[in-house]
Amino acid sequence: MLPFTCRGIWRAAVHTLRTSRGMPPCRLLSTCDGVPPGLADAETIFALSSGHGRCGVAVIRVSGPASATALRCMAGLTRSLPPPRTALLRSITDSQAKEVLDRGLVLWFPAPHSFTGEDSVEFHIHGGPAVVTAVLQALGSVPGMRPAEAGEFTRRAFQAGKLGLTEVEGLGDLIHAETEAQRRQALRQMSGELGRLYQDWSHRLKRCLAHVEAFIDFSEDELIEDGVLNQVDRSVCTLQAEMVRHLKDERRGERLRSGVQVVIAGATNAGKSSLLNTLCQRPAAIVSPIAGTTRDVVETALDIGGFPVLLSDTAGLRDSLDLVEREGVRRARERVEQADLTLVVVDCAYLPTDVQQAAAFLQGHLKSVLQTQEQPETALPADRYLLVLNKTDLVPEDQRQKLDRELRQVSGLPPVCLISCHTNEGLQDFLTVLHSNVKTLCGDPLSGAPTLTQARHRAHLQQCVAALAQYQRYRDADLALAAEGVRLALTSLGRITGRVGAEEILDIIFKDFCIGK
Amino acid sequence: MLTKKPPVLQSFLSLVSRRASHLARQQYDVIVVGGGHAGTEAAAAAARVGAETLLVTQKTNTIGALSCNPSLGGVGKGHLVKEVDALDGLCGRAGDWAGIHFSILNRSKGPAVWGPRAQLDRQRYREFIQSELLSTPRLTVLEGSVEELLVTEPNPEEPGHHRVTGIHLANGSHPILASSVILTTGTFLSGSLFVGQTTSPGGRIGDAPSSAGLSHTLRERLGLRIGRLRTGTPPRIVKDTVDLSLTNLHPPDSHPTPFSFLNTHTRCKPEEQLPCYLTHTTPGVDRVVRESLHLNCHIQQDTKGPRYCPSIESRVLRFPGRRHQVWLEPEGLNSDLLYPQGLSMTMPPDVQLRLIREIPALHRAEIHTPGYGVQYDFVCPTQLSPALQVKSTQGLFLAGQINGTTGYEEAAAQGLWAGVNAARSALSMPPVALSRTESYIGVLIDDLVSRGVTEPYRMFTSRAEFRTSLRPDNADLRLTHERSHKLFEVRCVSSLRYQEAVRVRDGLQDALAALQTLTLSTHLWRKKLPDIGISESKSTILTGMDLLQYNNVSFEMLASVFPECLSPYMEFSQRLNIEAVYRPHCDLQKKEIERIQKEENMTLPQDIDYFSLPVSLSQEVREILDRVRPSTLGAATRLQGMTPAAVVNLLRYVQHTGQRGRRTHRNQPDQKEEREEELCARNASLPQ
Repeated sequence: MLPFTCRGIWRAAVHTLRTSRGMPPCRLLSTCDGVPPGLADAETIFALSSGHGRCGVAVIRVSGPASATALRCMAGLTRSLPPPRTALLRSITDSQAKEVLDRGLVLWFPAPHSFTGEDSVEFHIHGGPAVVTAVLQALGSVPGMRPAEAGEFTRRAFQAGKLGLTEVEGLGDLIHAETEAQRRQALRQMSGELGRLYQDWSHRLKRCLAHVEAFIDFSEDELIEDGVLNQVDRSVCTLQAEMVRHLKDERRGERLRSGVQVVIAGATNAGKSSLLNTLCQRPAAIVSPIAGTTRDVVETALDIGGFPVLLSDTAGLRDSLDLVEREGVRRARERVEQADLTLVVVDCAYLPTDVQQAAAFLQGHLKSVLQTQEQPETALPADRYLLVLNKTDLVPEDQRQKLDRELRQVSGLPPVCLISCHTNEGLQDFLTVLHSNVKTLCGDPLSGAPTLTQARHRAHLQQCVAALAQYQRYRDADLALAAEGVRLALTSLGRITGRVGAEEILDIIFKDFCIGK
Repeated sequence: MLTKKPPVLQSFLSLVSRRASHLARQQYDVIVVGGGHAGTEAAAAAARVGAETLLVTQKTNTIGALSCNPSLGGVGKGHLVKEVDALDGLCGRAGDWAGIHFSILNRSKGPAVWGPRAQLDRQRYREFIQSELLSTPRLTVLEGSVEELLVTEPNPEEPGHHRVTGIHLANGSHPILASSVILTTGTFLSGSLFVGQTTSPGGRIGDAPSSAGLSHTLRERLGLRIGRLRTGTPPRIVKDTVDLSLTNLHPPDSHPTPFSFLNTHTRCKPEEQLPCYLTHTTPGVDRVVRESLHLNCHIQQDTKGPRYCPSIESRVLRFPGRRHQVWLEPEGLNSDLLYPQGLSMTMPPDVQLRLIREIPALHRAEIHTPGYGVQYDFVCPTQLSPALQVKSTQGLFLAGQINGTTGYEEAAAQGLWAGVNAARSALSMPPVALSRTESYIGVLIDDLVSRGVTEPYRMFTSRAEFRTSLRPDNADLRLTHERSHKLFEVRCVSSLRYQEAVRVRDGLQDALAALQTLTLSTHLWRKKLPDIGISESKSTILTGMDLLQYNNVSFEMLASVFPECLSPYMEFSQRLNIEAVYRPHCDLQKKEIERIQKEENMTLPQDIDYFSLPVSLSQEVREILDRVRPSTLGAATRLQGMTPAAVVNLLRYVQHTGQRGRRTHRNQPDQKEEREEELCARNASLPQ
C-alpha cells in the first residue's frame, strides 16, 4: 500500500505543478488570495493527482472536512468508513445518477495522519479519460466540494505544519521537476539531507553563540576562561570555510532547477544553427549558406541524459555594418558571458592543414571570438568551453583522423569534438562529452554535498558568512559587536532552519558552564 | 540631587505612624502592598503619574531593605537600573547615594554589555528610599498586614471575570478602597524558611509571615495558577574573624560612575570606597556538603531553584570537584560584616560554620547570621498583560518576585511599570506597554507575560535581541526622551529630567553634526594625528565620524586637534565614542525593529475563543494560545510550540478582522502585493 501512497503524493505534486508552472514556490501561500482567509480551509478540495492523458491507473485525491462524505457517497459505504490507510476494493458510483462509474481502490486517511493534515481520501481508478472525467464530475456534485487550485494540497500541508520550510521548498522543486535528475534532487531535499547539513551548522553556531554569551554575561563573576573564546574563534573559522565551500558549488543546484545554460557561438557560417537543429532533432533555427542568417538568439529546451539544458543559438560573431546584425552580435557576446557552457563551433575547412598551426589557429580564434571583458588574457577555463569542429564531411578522412588524434594532446585547448551536422558523424561522441560536462555542472544529485536549490538559501548563507566576518573583525575590539556577528549569522541561518530563541542559548550556557552568581 | 540629605530615620517613622493613626482617607487611587524594591518603585511611580497612592507594608523600617546581597547592578541588571532611572525611578539615585564600591563590569567587552555595578551600604540605601517616599507628593505609607483583597463583580464593559476594589487589613475594622491594587509581596506569599531540617513560615528572617488569606484569595477566589520557587541567602560573616591576607583584593574603579543620568558624581568619594575580596572553595567544602545532605531539607525538595544563583550545595552536586569563586563583599561603610557571594546555603548552622571554615581565608571565621532558604508562591506571569495587570481581574497588578523573577533590579523595573499602569488605570487612561525593541524592561515583561517562567527569572544581556541598540549609555534617550510623548504627559518623568534629556539629545546631535562636517583628506588627517594608522587605500576624504570608528581614536583626541569646533561637547565625549562605533550597527537593526513593532501593533483580542477560531490551527497550538493569550501577534510568534503555519494563519486572521473594520476601502492591488510579501517575509523568519 505504501508505494501507492507515495506515488499519490508524487502525482499530486506533479499535477499541481502543471497548472502552476512558473509560479515561484514561495508564493504557494498566496495562491488562495481570492478566497477570504480563514474560510478557505473549511472547504473540501479534489483533483486528479496523477498525470493527465492515458495511463493505467489514475489517482484522484480529496482533502478537507467533507472527505468522509465523499467517500461514503462515492464508494457506497453507508455505515462505517474503511480502516485508516488501508486499500479497499469498491465500486465507484455517482450517488446522484446511481450509476456505477468504475471499480477501484479507495483509501481513507483520517486527520491528522494525511499529507495535508486534514481528512483525506484517495480513489485509485482506471486511467481512461472518460472514467476520470466521470469520477471528477461526480465528486463535484457532492455538497461542499470544489476542484483544488494550483499548489493547494501543498499549501494545506504547510499550514497544518506537516512540512517545514525546507521541505516545502523541496516540494516546490518536486512540483517543478520535469526530468528524472531534478526529481531525484528534490526528493533528496525532502528527506532532509540539506536540512541536516543546515541543522548541523545551526547547532554549531548555537554553541559558539552560547559560549560568547556566557563569556559576556558571566565571566566577571565566574570562572569562565579566555580559552572559551579561542575555541569559538576556531569554530567560527571552520564554519565560515565550510559555508564558503558550499556556496562555491558553482550554483549547481540552481542550475539543475532552471537548466544548464548552453550557448552555441562562433564565426558566421560555421554551422551553429545546424548544430542546434541536430541536437534538438527539429528545424528550430533557420539554416542557410548565407553568412549572418541567425541574427537573434534562438532558444530551445533539451533533456540531455536526464539533465535540463537550455540551448541558445546565437548570431555569428563578426564585425558588421548592419545595425540589426550588430545588435545580434552584442546579444551573442552577452549570452556567452552568462553561459554555463559554451560550444564554440569552427568550420573545419578553415583550419590550417598543419596540426600545430591548427592548434595555434584555434587558440587565437577562441580568444578573438570569445574574449570577455573580465578575463581578456587568462586562459579559458576548460570546463566552460567545448570546441566543436563542424563540417568534417568536407575534409579528407586521414586529415580528420590526424586532427582528432593530435588536437586532443594540445594543452591549453578546451575539449575538442569533430562532428558533421550534415552526416551526423561524431555526434554520439560529442553527446557523451556534452553529457558529462552538463552532469559536472549540475552535480550528481545522488552523490557528494547537497547543492543549493534555492536562491533564497544562498542569500541567507551569504549573509551568514558576512556576519561571521563581523565576529572576526570585532573579536578583539568590541566583544558585544563580535557576538552580534554570531547572532546575525544564526538569524540568517535560522531563516532556513528555524528561529533560535534566547532561551535555547541560555540552556546551552547552563549546560556547559557552572554559573554561580 | 545628591546634595539633599535624607532626613533622619526617626522623623520618617514618626510621620508614618502619624499618618497611620489618623488615616485621612479610606479610599485611594492605588494601593501598593509591599515595601521592597518593586513596591517602593511602584508606589513612587503611581504617585508621580498623579494617583493618590497608599503603600502598605508590614514594617515601615524595612522599607527599602536589601534582603540579600548588598549590591546593585551588574551585567544586564545594570541596564535595568539605568532604564529605571531614565523613567525617574528610585533605585539608580539610591545606588549613587548608598554605593561604597563602584565598578563597571565587562569594561573590556564593548559598551553595549558594560555592567554598571555598586556595592551598597545597606543603611544608606534604606535611608534614601525612605526619604524619597516621604517627599513624594500624593504618597502615604501605612504599617499593616493585608489580610485579604476585596473582590467584586467585574465592570461588564471591560474584559475580566473579577474586580479588585481594595484591601482588608489584618486588624483594620474598615476596608481601604482603591481603583488599583499592586501586589509586591516578594517571597512572603506563603513563604517558608528552611535552615537544616527546620522549617518555619515567613518570607525573610526576622519578619512575621504574611497572612495566608492573600495566597488563598489569589488561588481560590481569583482562580490564578500559582507555582512555587525557591531561593536562598548566604550566612553573614564577622569581618574581623576573616584572614583577608589569604584573599585577592578586588579594588573598585578609581573614578566611580554614577547610575543616574542626573548625577555627575556619587556620594561616596573615590578614595572612601571599600574593596571586595575574592577567595575559592576547597575540596573540604565539597565534602561537608555531601556529608550533610541528609540534614538539608531545602536541597532535597524538588522546587525549582535558579540555575544561575545556585546554593553552594547545588553547585557542588552539579559540578563536583571544581573550585568555585567566593566573593567577600562589604555590607556598609561602618558594618563589621561581610557578605560571602556564592555561599548561599541551607544546612544546619553548625554545619554552615564547619563548611566556611574549610576555606583558608575563613578558617577562623564566625557567622553572624546563618544562611537560609526560602520557598514561596508565585503567580504564573503568563496570566498578566504587558501592563502587568492580571488579565482575568480588573484592578489587580503584580510586580517583583510574585511574578517569578529574582533580583532587586528586575523587581524595581516591574514595580515601576506596574505603578505607572495601575495609576493610569485608576485615572481612566489606557495602559502603556514598553516594547522589547526599545528597552530591557520591555524584554523582561515580554518574556514574563508571553513565555512564563520555569525558574526564577533573571536578566541577561543575551535575552535582548537588540542589545547593540539597547545600551546602558543611551537609556535616557531611549526612554526619557523617546517615550516622552506618552510618559512625560502622564508625569512619570519629571520636567527636570525631561529637560535634561532634551539638552543631552540636542548636545549629542550637534556634536555628531560637527563631527560629520569635519572633513579632511587622509593626508591631512595623517599629519594632524600621526600616530593613527590611517591606511592609504581609504577614500581620500574622511569625516570626524569616520575617524572615531578607528580603534585608537577618541573624541578627546579629535577635540584636542580641533578645539574650536569640538571642545563645547567634551561632556559627551564617552557617549560620542560609543555612538560613532555603534550607530552603523543600530541603523542595520532598525528595519528588523520596525518589523517587530509592526507585529506588536497587531493586537489579538483578549476575549478571542481560540478553540472555535475558523482558521487552521492544531489543537496543540490552540491550547497554547488559549493558555497564554498573547496580547499581540509579536508575542504569539515568540511562544514555544508555535508553528510557522499557525503564525501565518494568525497573521491572516488579524489582517482579515482588521480589514473587515474598514471594508469601505477595496483592496488595492499594491496593498495585496504588500500583504503577500509580508507573508513571505514572515514565513522566512518563522520558528520551525
